[in-house]
Amino acid sequence: MNALKKLFGGNTRQFGMIFALVALIIFFQIATDGRTLTPGNVINLFNGNSYILILAIGMVLVIIAGHIDLSVGSVAAFVGVCVALFIRDWGIPWYLGILMGLLLGVLIGAWQGFWTAYVGIPAFIVTLAGMLIFRGANQFVGKSNTIPVPADYQYIGSGYLPEIGPNTGYNNLTVLLGLAAVAFVIFSEIRSRRNAKALGADVPEPWVSVVKLVLICGAILYATYLFATGRPGTSFPIPGLILAVLVIVYGFISSRTVIGRHIYAVGGNRHAAELSGVQSKKVNFLVMMNMSILAGLAGMIFVGRSTASGPFDGVGWELDAIAAVFIGGAAVTGGVGTVIGSIVGGLVMAVLNNGLQLLGVGADLTQIIKGLVLLIAVAFDVYNKTQGKKSIIGLMFKNFGRSSEMKPDETTSTKEVISRGA
Amino acid sequence: MRMIGKAGKAAAIAAIAALALTACGRSDSGATGGSTAGGEAFPKDSLIGVALPQKTSENWVLAETLFNDGLTEAGFKPDVQFANGGVSEQQNQISAMITKGAKVIIVGAIDGAQLGTQLQQAKESGATIIAYDRLLLNTPNVDYYVAYDNFKVGELQGQALLEGMKAKKPEGPYNIELFAGSPDDANAKVFFDGAMSVLKPKMDDGTLKVLSGQTSFEQAVTQGWKAENAQKRMDTLLAGTYASAPLDGVLSPNDTLARAIITSVKAAGKPIPVVTGQDSEVESVKSIMAGEQYSTINKDTSKLVEHTITMVKDLQAGKTPEINDDKSYDNTVKVVPAYLLEPVIVTQENVKTAYVNDPVLGPLTQ
Amino acid sequence: MTSLNTHSDPIILEMRSITKEFPGVKALSEVNLRVKAGEIHAICGENGAGKSTLMKVLSGVYPFGSYDGDIVYQSEVQQFKDIRASEHAGIVIIHQELALIPELSIMENIFLGNEPTKRGVIDWAEARVRSTELLARVGLREDPETPIKEIGVGKQQLVEIAKALNKSVKLLILDEPTAALNESDSQHLLDLMLGLKGRGITSIIISHKLNEIEQIADSITIIRDGKSIETLNVKADGVDEDRIIKGMVGRTLESRFPDHEPKIGEVFFEVKNWNVGHPQIQDRMVCKNSNFFVRRGEIVGFAGLMGAGRTELARSVFGRSYGRFLSGHVYLDGKEVELKSVRQAIDAGLGYVTEDRKMLGLNLLDDIKATTVSANLRKVSKNNVIDANKVFTVAEQYRKSLRTKAPSVEEGVAKLSGGNQQKVVLAKWMFTDPELLILDEPTRGIDVGAKYEIYGIIQELANQGKGVIVISSELPELLGLSDRIYTIFEGAITGVLNKDEASQENLMKLMTSARKTA
Repeated sequence: MNALKKLFGGNTRQFGMIFALVALIIFFQIATDGRTLTPGNVINLFNGNSYILILAIGMVLVIIAGHIDLSVGSVAAFVGVCVALFIRDWGIPWYLGILMGLLLGVLIGAWQGFWTAYVGIPAFIVTLAGMLIFRGANQFVGKSNTIPVPADYQYIGSGYLPEIGPNTGYNNLTVLLGLAAVAFVIFSEIRSRRNAKALGADVPEPWVSVVKLVLICGAILYATYLFATGRPGTSFPIPGLILAVLVIVYGFISSRTVIGRHIYAVGGNRHAAELSGVQSKKVNFLVMMNMSILAGLAGMIFVGRSTASGPFDGVGWELDAIAAVFIGGAAVTGGVGTVIGSIVGGLVMAVLNNGLQLLGVGADLTQIIKGLVLLIAVAFDVYNKTQGKKSIIGLMFKNFGRSSEMKPDETTSTKEVISRGA
Repeated sequence: MRMIGKAGKAAAIAAIAALALTACGRSDSGATGGSTAGGEAFPKDSLIGVALPQKTSENWVLAETLFNDGLTEAGFKPDVQFANGGVSEQQNQISAMITKGAKVIIVGAIDGAQLGTQLQQAKESGATIIAYDRLLLNTPNVDYYVAYDNFKVGELQGQALLEGMKAKKPEGPYNIELFAGSPDDANAKVFFDGAMSVLKPKMDDGTLKVLSGQTSFEQAVTQGWKAENAQKRMDTLLAGTYASAPLDGVLSPNDTLARAIITSVKAAGKPIPVVTGQDSEVESVKSIMAGEQYSTINKDTSKLVEHTITMVKDLQAGKTPEINDDKSYDNTVKVVPAYLLEPVIVTQENVKTAYVNDPVLGPLTQ
Repeated sequence: MTSLNTHSDPIILEMRSITKEFPGVKALSEVNLRVKAGEIHAICGENGAGKSTLMKVLSGVYPFGSYDGDIVYQSEVQQFKDIRASEHAGIVIIHQELALIPELSIMENIFLGNEPTKRGVIDWAEARVRSTELLARVGLREDPETPIKEIGVGKQQLVEIAKALNKSVKLLILDEPTAALNESDSQHLLDLMLGLKGRGITSIIISHKLNEIEQIADSITIIRDGKSIETLNVKADGVDEDRIIKGMVGRTLESRFPDHEPKIGEVFFEVKNWNVGHPQIQDRMVCKNSNFFVRRGEIVGFAGLMGAGRTELARSVFGRSYGRFLSGHVYLDGKEVELKSVRQAIDAGLGYVTEDRKMLGLNLLDDIKATTVSANLRKVSKNNVIDANKVFTVAEQYRKSLRTKAPSVEEGVAKLSGGNQQKVVLAKWMFTDPELLILDEPTRGIDVGAKYEIYGIIQELANQGKGVIVISSELPELLGLSDRIYTIFEGAITGVLNKDEASQENLMKLMTSARKTA
């Protein structure tokens, strides 16, 4: 018991939320007679949700900065249809199409960023307008038709890592990726221990690190095994690869770079940030622009997966992305949240959705269950905070960014006092 | 402390060992798995996936029940899913069916052109794909198509419109307006083209006049088959074009839209024109009995489901299912073998006889 | 005392061995408090000593069951489960941050949650009559329909008290009531408290302003490190400020200001003909043709009443972060510079420590280390990537040198006491290595011990040859700290006095009158 507390409490507490995810996976694995953790299903899980998870990455930054973006589904659909048209009507190659799609994302993002950051209209309103504008634009330019895309373009939405090297019975590239990930995890744990020691900070006891590494590496190796042994022709999917790269890049940006700190600072207290020399308008502009670029990317991936762009692509995606971010521990008031947390939040929803579909639960009931899970996950976190305990979701990702822990103490915020009222 | 350290190491070794044991590489069984007795293509108790679109019309809800009952009765395990969340949800549902090992997947697509990747997966897993009611486009991975003859539906609607107007007012010219279905549904265009094959000549010779000038499919579409969209368009037409001129008939592609159009006309205080329909929805049949909506099309869902299940049974037994059209349905990649059922037009005249066998509509019309 | 409550128990409230724990922290340990009916009872202690926590236990913010010990009020053991329960019993707490809604009128605020109704409909006529009466009792001459946002903080405080009186308060608790008030408003409030005492209302006051406590309190309970140390009877024990300080810090402070030998160099920072308009109101000036300069190694004080334009001047110079810039020149080492943004100001070597730590100074979600480096991320990063080790090392260094009380630099700043928060903010600005540091009310809401340390830090900065500007409402602080003091009145600089010629009297005169000569 004490050992468990040491592992999941104390210094290495980032496991908790992942714990919920693992519990969910195990539950469905048993309930579906082992159909959840099959190569085919895990690949589907990533293919079918990568675009939502990519949106969640952008969305968590928007929410940390204290805004919201309701337009992502429409922007995704608009970029998707434009790229499909560019390729079909202008005959440009697929990679140019993707490049132009990203460029279009930049333009749309600059538009929304301009209104939000420099004119000062709340993002809720700017993006509500964007939701209408770009949905309409999607149906206008696509004439509300489905527009097919060629097979080589479909690779970004439904392709896999190719087979190279000797026939080992596994997909070699996938195995290599998995091993590289394991090596990286071990290396960074060793490095962080060394750093902590050098700085005189608390160093977790060796067994804590060992157990942690065994669990993480075990999970990575198992996932690698699943991806590498799917049906011939399948392996680690390209959307999953894009997602992994984005998670690493954005996880790094948000927690380790100057602009990342500035996003948290603006969301946490804009005035204080400005008086510390942070250019909050620039930060807001970049965050909104980045969201639209990622939305464009998500839209293009979806078109690749669907083999065509349609007039109702991306409907409701904004809500899925926002739900993932909040399950992942972000705060509505801004300043709090992590990229990894949002991805885990998104995966919780994805696994739930997938598991319920495997069980043959209808779409109506699935929605009810997802709604309840969102409510309970956030309520649980809020309850823990008000009890003066640490925010579980926040703590779990402490090392990846910032947690939200405020103890009711001497410092009662003005808001609290007012809301408590008379 | 030391104890735990050892436990940690033991766990590490156990995990690695477990991986090594399970690491048997990928199995070579690619396509159809397992052996079956005699000439059977797959076992009798196999899973049959049915992926239906949103629950937007009564027919889809009815189809759900019929598929569940019919497949169960035939000994199969049905898995019927609605995709209320849109295309992406339907994609995930089809993927899940493949994971569950469905042998036949019956697809009523939301958007027939956006399921290519999943159909490819299904094909690779060895499943047979039947397009139900809506054709699957741009993909080689569709084996059969079962539907009512939709061009015929359009023709019947066009003829009914002409006959209905003639009965009210023997001599032309007649003022009409045209409504089409949702542009993302491949059938919508087929209905429209069928109707226009009858109406176009009459428009050319001046018997029919479309005062709004909106005669192309793009101008006549109703996004998402939504009643509110049709109603809004009708409101606009009535206020703009028919403020003074009389409106004799409206081509409506289905019953939901027909009722929306009639609601709009009533609200504007105009006499109800001849309005066509399709699907034999309960409210529309009542409306026909009451003399408001002029016609509907009886595409008996039970017959369509029944035939689809017959195809599944044939496939299971290793036989080739019966088809009656192998040239009309080109999905841009291949010509899909199809079995087309004949639709029946229903007006006030034959409403009593048309639904005799229908458990719901039968009693209503007697 | 004998004139009141002769026939009942003179003790209205007794808190017996109250213990309150938060995870990992024992905020209160066996605290005892006895308050006599009809007295003004002061609670003194350093920030973080547990005063506010004790009051939250009393008022039901921390409900019965979440603490140990007994609350005996009017001879009965109470079990308040929330604020409503304690208010029902006649205990009303007025917080440092006022709980008024700015958009609503005085009257609506007074009756908020307690509206007079007639058959379920709010009786506004009745409300008006009663609020006029209540406002008269607290000596506030304002139309009850005036929105709260249109009256000053001092008057808002009075509205809070009127609201409490409306709830037929028996025990009134005021947490730092004069912290945000100017001298005359403070005096009015203290007089009002004495008036309420005359009507038999018992008050508990928490304050850092020891002179005020000495003036009005009958008894003083001192709390230190979560424990009740002693209760003093002001008149009988002949208590003075030094006696209170001794109880609070556990030792006597020889001097309230550390010794300091100024080493003043040449002028290096100068502002000329500085004119700034109000951010919203056209034609209104917040800085009028101001001229001032700072020498190396010099501590320059800015004295002025609240609202005189001290903060506005400082912030407009600091990268034009306040108001509409109209005209003016800034010279650094004789060369004119244009500081159009905060970033430029910081790069030019300016730093500004705000008067409003929570709203403008800190991101309360951050921890100590993130805050320490937040104004100079460049120094701890390479190619825009932050070096986490460097951040840790830097923060640890400042924690040690400024003696910030926190378990580690990973502690959230929200958990720190005011004094320690201020030290973190100082660390943040010291890390930008400024040539000129502007400190706006650097010791507001900070207890005596921490004040002394902060004075030491300020003097140390001056010793290193930096220029320091200190803006303060407390004249003794300015007199003790500054080498030279400018006075401001209605946006204009009205005078400048050297340390040896300045006194409270002549400063006050300059702070309250327009410039005599052009």
